[in-house]
Amino acid sequence: MAKLLDKQRYKCAMGAMQTVQAITRAIPILHSGPGCAQKLSDTVGSSGYFSPNIFPCTSINEKDVVFGGAKKLTSTIENALKVIDADLYVVLTGCIPEIVGDDVEEIVSEFKDAEKPVIYASTAGFKGNNYKGHEQVIDAIIEQYLKKSDTRQKGLVNIWADVPYQDLFWLGNLRELENLLREIGLVPNTIFGYGRGLENIKKIPEAEFNLLVSPWVSVGNMKKMERKLALPYLHYKTLPIGAFETSKFLREVASFAGVEPEIVEDVITRHENYYYYLIERYADMFLEARVMAKQFTVAADAQYTLGITKFLANDLGLTPAKQYVTDDTPKQFRESIKKEFESLNYGIKAEVAFETDSFKIHNEIREHNYHGYPLILGSYYEKAVANEMQGHYLNIAWPVQDKVVLDDFYVGYTGGIRLIEDIYSVALQRFN
Amino acid sequence: MANLRQIAIYGKGGIGKSTTTQNLTAGLVEKGKKVMVVGCDPKADSTRLLLGGLAQKTVLDTIRDEGEDIELSQIMRIGYGGTKCVESGGPEPGVGCAGRGIITSINMLENLGAYTDDLDYVFYDVLGDVVCGGFAMPIREGKAKEIYIVASGEMMALYAANNISKGISRYARAGGVRLGGIICNSRNVDRELSLLRAFAKELGTKLLYFVPRDNVVQHAEIHRQTVIEYKPQSNQAQEYRNLAQAVIDNEDFVIPTPMTQERLEEILMEFGMMDIADDYKI
Repeated sequence: MAKLLDKQRYKCAMGAMQTVQAITRAIPILHSGPGCAQKLSDTVGSSGYFSPNIFPCTSINEKDVVFGGAKKLTSTIENALKVIDADLYVVLTGCIPEIVGDDVEEIVSEFKDAEKPVIYASTAGFKGNNYKGHEQVIDAIIEQYLKKSDTRQKGLVNIWADVPYQDLFWLGNLRELENLLREIGLVPNTIFGYGRGLENIKKIPEAEFNLLVSPWVSVGNMKKMERKLALPYLHYKTLPIGAFETSKFLREVASFAGVEPEIVEDVITRHENYYYYLIERYADMFLEARVMAKQFTVAADAQYTLGITKFLANDLGLTPAKQYVTDDTPKQFRESIKKEFESLNYGIKAEVAFETDSFKIHNEIREHNYHGYPLILGSYYEKAVANEMQGHYLNIAWPVQDKVVLDDFYVGYTGGIRLIEDIYSVALQRFN
Repeated sequence: MANLRQIAIYGKGGIGKSTTTQNLTAGLVEKGKKVMVVGCDPKADSTRLLLGGLAQKTVLDTIRDEGEDIELSQIMRIGYGGTKCVESGGPEPGVGCAGRGIITSINMLENLGAYTDDLDYVFYDVLGDVVCGGFAMPIREGKAKEIYIVASGEMMALYAANNISKGISRYARAGGVRLGGIICNSRNVDRELSLLRAFAKELGTKLLYFVPRDNVVQHAEIHRQTVIEYKPQSNQAQEYRNLAQAVIDNEDFVIPTPMTQERLEEILMEFGMMDIADDYKI
């Protein structure tokens, strides 16, 4: 029997048009029906040089299904190259051409001599969600654009994290990760956001290694680059939020990169001193703000559920109730992610469920005794259940309806402080 | 329209579905029946004998060239004895979705009012196996309720017939589609008649008619005619008249009971071999 899934927190693979959108001056060319882009482009903050509602699209119809959409795709690419001033054109295929069997690879290969690079990624919705679609786009760049480099740039590190726009803090997080690496003497390279783009993509093969900060997204991309570009990678599963995890993160990166321990310890000490200075000043508030229960729940994708659970338990001394990972994490990664939840400081283990059905999540939250007004961090879908329980609620994951994030971030030492500010701003509003 | 019988002809590729359908149609026309033949095969050769050649522009070619705003007269030609002939056609080999093409064409025929009240029979001549949902379109709700499978005593023909029966039984559960029987287009295989009878019985149906092999069929095809038109006095012409009468008289419509591969092979062992298995001579 078909399963009814209530309020899932991801889109179909063609949501990867946002991954392309996040690469400055890259444009998706959609080979799909006209409704796909419209349905997928609801995220705020995705307008700009290329608006998500004016992507070139083949808008295929029944005739293209019967006879194949090859001609239409060819003319759409030709015309996109003529009228849109972009640096990189990424053809994304929807469900229909994938079922019909359009040979997109062959069509795109006819543009190999075009002035600008044209690549394609297979992003049929039935292949998975937009986390998978994001990986498909990165794979396409690796397979169809990048070539192995004979030279390596000393200290150059490619940083990869979770999915742009799906992660509302993607831009700020990437910039802060760059800053942290820069501070320990490395040269960060990222491809997403302002001031990055094709030039940074070209630099990827010259890096000394790839740094992946994500529980599972892009692990496949890292393996592909290891094989094709001979780029080793460091997979750091936890998004480092707050002092404990960020210091651990910096030590691990430094060790992998061969950075002198004195250098990294200096950076850590400087940051931790300031971090704990801030915490100390507000310690009375943390102790006195008894309106908030000590137990919390995070319902978000793997990176935020894991990152925030570690932060709240390790840095703030809160106690995890059951945690929910909602991104349909592929089965092969679940066990290792679960182990991360079971290795919190002070011997604390957090129970975690990989669950995509909001109905089940909300019922479990309702039934749990938080011993007070709970702290619930999640998507906009959690707002109603948090209100019902008179809880404290923060929107930290897609879908986002009641929050504007331009370049705010939760990663690193500063990110941890920002998260504390946000949480306690909510808590203090209860009686003020 | 109340008495319209819509009939789909299925069977292994190359078994003679189009030849049988057109000769059967000629037999029905001779008896005064009004018939429409809808070719559901991208090769578009289901009406060649009725039209005296591949004289027809297919529905899909017309849609491709002229758009959706077309007249019935552009896609329907009148053939032997007033038969209405339509070819669905399809995309070029290797591109697009031929199955969706069949759906598009049949919808187009309905929209253009091809199913007129004066018709007695509509035949859908469908390519080879039912490879996807599109090729099952003729037997979906509101279309053909009668199916005949053309087969011979060859193993692969029976295998295909059994497979097609699986498709029919799936659609039969929800809709009114039924199997009317097996038509044997003989290949002069050993003990073909008894094998086909046993096979049909196992499927829960009957051997509707055994069409013997005769070279006059090939001669007629070369002359782009049905046998009834080409050699009306021949024995084979009479065979097709008899087949037409068998279809007219047929009242046995069943939900087939497809068999397992093992059972199919048992039947082949039992009926499909000469007494001396290795009696092979050139």
